Amino acid sequence: MTKASPKKKAEAKKPEYIYVKFDRPRLYNWSTGKYLGHFYAEAKENKKITGNRCPKCKEIWVPPTIVCPKCKVEMGCDWVELPQTGELYQYTYLVLPLWDPHYGEKWANPYPSAIILLDNGFYFRHKLEETDKEKLKTGVRVQAIWEEDYDKRGQGPGDILYFKEIGKE
Amino acid sequence: MPSKVAIVGIGQTYHTTRRPDVNQAEMVGEAVRAALADAGLSIKDIEATFFSNMETFEGIFLPDHGMTAEVGAFGRPGLKVCTGGTSGGSVVCEGFYFVSSGLYDLIMVIGFEKQDCGDTTAAISAAATPLWGKGATTGAIGEFAKQALAYMETSGAKEEHAAMVRLKADRNACRNPYSHLKLGLKSIDEVLQSPYLVWPLRILDFCPQSAGACALIFASESRAKKITKKPVWIADVETVHQEPFRAGVFGDPTGTEIYTQHVASERLYKRNGITNPRKDIDMAEVYEPSNWEEMNLYEHFHFCEKGEGWKLIERGITEIEGEFPVNCSGGVIATNPIGATPTIRVAEAALQIRGDAGEHQATKDIKTALASALGGPNWTILTLLRRSL
Repeated sequence: MTKASPKKKAEAKKPEYIYVKFDRPRLYNWSTGKYLGHFYAEAKENKKITGNRCPKCKEIWVPPTIVCPKCKVEMGCDWVELPQTGELYQYTYLVLPLWDPHYGEKWANPYPSAIILLDNGFYFRHKLEETDKEKLKTGVRVQAIWEEDYDKRGQGPGDILYFKEIGKE
Repeated sequence: MPSKVAIVGIGQTYHTTRRPDVNQAEMVGEAVRAALADAGLSIKDIEATFFSNMETFEGIFLPDHGMTAEVGAFGRPGLKVCTGGTSGGSVVCEGFYFVSSGLYDLIMVIGFEKQDCGDTTAAISAAATPLWGKGATTGAIGEFAKQALAYMETSGAKEEHAAMVRLKADRNACRNPYSHLKLGLKSIDEVLQSPYLVWPLRILDFCPQSAGACALIFASESRAKKITKKPVWIADVETVHQEPFRAGVFGDPTGTEIYTQHVASERLYKRNGITNPRKDIDMAEVYEPSNWEEMNLYEHFHFCEKGEGWKLIERGITEIEGEFPVNCSGGVIATNPIGATPTIRVAEAALQIRGDAGEHQATKDIKTALASALGGPNWTILTLLRRSL
């Protein structure tokens, strides 16, 4: 092994950065495709969570998929509507703010990130309405709360605003 | 009959938060020169160059195109791979395949990342699938927080055990001249007092963003023996993929039971006659983005029974002077230039086999070592190294 690279002398100097600013919007047009598109359409039109079922192993996949990852067979369109209520299985929450890549701002998502065990036994990842860390508790019953404005929907899983504890004001 | 493949040259830069003194190409050049010097070779001897980098993390498209001259790849064949966190392991597999196939006799693989030029978490959050993953702004940290929680609940490990893993990593990193974070941590309390990133993961529970590069030179059997007296043989590689957002579906919603780690280690061990990994292998350099994940990996790679990973750290088994040292280099939690991180695991494991790790050389004689890579939607790559084949 050779000697270590030059010592950290250079770090003492104050770095000079060149800032290049672009003031054009980013023009991305992501296609949902046939299967994910079905999920998006059902969410926007009917406020439903949908997946598709593998003809072989009968496992439900959300987001819907074209080929079963396990069986490697074509999934087809055996659409399944998932329940919108379940139990809070696990949660974490962000403490240190991070950059939001889509808006370019430093932002601490206030909503705890959660795994929800839906009533059909499917583990669904979403966020929680309750932002008070002291009140978070696994095992409570929760339900999906949807964006009510039709024109604002179309964000797929984002059409569900969050999951809220059932019976809580 | 495939050719045997040996690592004959190892070079890396020192790793740190910011390298404003050099650009990406110049930084990579340092590792290339170090590897050539280690092998006693000239850049003119290298037949092909292979790169690994997290493209767009620094906002640079085709970063390998911008450094062909600096690293001696000009006019030569080669490829760049990007497979997420495993990129630096994929490039080792790639180099192994090319030499093993007989296509080339002497090649260089390079992993690099200069994270001071960009924003990693922003890139990770945008990378996955842009539609489904939109708004998942915690990057990799949130996933490891979920795993930490699940590991605590199922194994009975306490935060103190995770702190012990962090202390071990820091002690080792302080002995490694190339490592990034050398914090000189003294006590478990010091780790447990660090602030949360994503509850229950603390700043000291997670890897840093580093700038650095690592280059390795691979040779076929006939060339290797002429170049060095201490070749390190790549006995085998294994790589297993998985889709994003399906981490939790293999009977484990939190993604703690990483499917690909089980499959990869079982296949690799079976092919190489490894029945008792902790005896048949002498040490491991694992890719642990967090201290909790290291305990998980002990179990997934079968260094111990299920639910007992934390007991290995409690008993000091994985310490540098222990029975089965893990991450003598200080690991990923101390040094993480992502595109280079798994390449460094292989480099450090090879140094241990050569006995050239200096201050951070394991106490026991290392004849066989395992290097792992983890990344993206929990993909796994394993590399098995031996002193003799």
